[in-house]
Amino acid sequence: MQHDPAIIAALLAAAESGINRALALAPTAASDFDALAGTVVALEITSLEITVYTAVTATRAVRLMSHFEGHVTTQVSGSLEDLFALIVSDDPAALLINSPIEVHGNTAPLIALQQLLTSLEINWQQPLADIFGDVLGHQMALHLSAGINWGREAATSLRRQLSEYLLEEGRLTPPETELEDFFEGVQSLKLQAERLDSRIARLARRISQRGAG
Amino acid sequence: MTQSTDIDQDNISSGEDSHRGDTTDFGFTEVPREDKARLVRGVFDSVASRYDLMNDLMSGGIHRLWKRFTIELSAVRAGQRVLDIAGGTGDLAARFSDLVGPEGQVILADINAAMLRVGRDRLIDRGKVGNIEVVQCDAQHLPFADDSIDCITIAFGLRNVTDKNRALRSMYRVLKPGGRLLVLEFSKPTNTLLEQVYDTYSFKILPRIGQLVAQDADSYRYLAESIRKHPDQDTLLGMMEDAEFADCQYHNMTGGIVAVHRGVKA
Repeated sequence: MQHDPAIIAALLAAAESGINRALALAPTAASDFDALAGTVVALEITSLEITVYTAVTATRAVRLMSHFEGHVTTQVSGSLEDLFALIVSDDPAALLINSPIEVHGNTAPLIALQQLLTSLEINWQQPLADIFGDVLGHQMALHLSAGINWGREAATSLRRQLSEYLLEEGRLTPPETELEDFFEGVQSLKLQAERLDSRIARLARRISQRGAG
Repeated sequence: MTQSTDIDQDNISSGEDSHRGDTTDFGFTEVPREDKARLVRGVFDSVASRYDLMNDLMSGGIHRLWKRFTIELSAVRAGQRVLDIAGGTGDLAARFSDLVGPEGQVILADINAAMLRVGRDRLIDRGKVGNIEVVQCDAQHLPFADDSIDCITIAFGLRNVTDKNRALRSMYRVLKPGGRLLVLEFSKPTNTLLEQVYDTYSFKILPRIGQLVAQDADSYRYLAESIRKHPDQDTLLGMMEDAEFADCQYHNMTGGIVAVHRGVKA
């Protein structure tokens, strides 16, 4: 699939601008960002045949590119849905294990970057004060922060209650530990099947060599 | 420190002495080769103060995205030396200044003094100082040592050069082995319908906008004509190969309205 670089550039420019604007309003993230300077994460969206390179610069900014020729710290491949789930996940490490996403390279910077970007504490006071003045801006920032916090707590509470309902009341899903045990069993079976497959291939090769000899 | 050579129109050689007596295109008009540089200079003297506006009018603002992709293709790293020819108002130079960092160097070059003045002032206003040098020079005769530049870019400038082959050879000479050239230029749309729409816009609408906005329809008409006279994607690719560039390739953007060509000095 051939994509027009200008369209990709437009999307990346918009996303990059939004991320960097948010970073500029989140001073508490600055020190964490310094530790990630030089990190380059390649997100290969297999369903769209696009790779987006996310580079953390030394100037505490993120640079998004569709073309990059330097060293990539971590390469992540998956469908758009899988990668989006990773980006917004509360537990990216678990998601990397339990999803069809393929990872090459060091996962630690990837997880650190994901957590940093999803937990930004944005200080709204500065931009609002610039527009509405100090007094009104301050009041608006307080209300906005309170609203955002309420929204986060409400979302967490809703998720927990929904989880409890599905698990305890409706008996519609198995407990998390049971599910993890099942996934581990599947993973173990997959590895055993792969070993068996390679053993069969080795035996078949030997038999054919003896036949030829 | 931002340095600048003495910006002086009269000191710039037009570089076509060896072709005196021949003609070349100036838009759709054939003019003596020795006159083209002067005529092009007249166009850009006229539009220099409104160059950004002109780019926005001609591209619908998309030129920023084309330049963004060009910068990605350049793969410029910290500490490198970058030459931005026909650098205009310094869009690319400003971005390269961040990428090469304090250890690197960016040279903003243009044959046109008025453009360079605007570019230099804008860079200073944006705080881009310390690793940028401003040089007035002709792309056909680059005043730099052989094998001294890591990356050369020329964005929307090659079509205004009198002898494009000579300019490409000059760029090849100053590039380091492994260095790359990126030519961003208006090109030939790949879709017939898009080409017709684009032609109508360029020849019917753009000069009128130029007249309304800048009271200068002729300059805008020349810019549209010069785009049509510029070699298409494959022809330019062949010219780069003739100039001994290796690994030449191009990427069409916005349906081929613009293409970025890349070549590497072997």
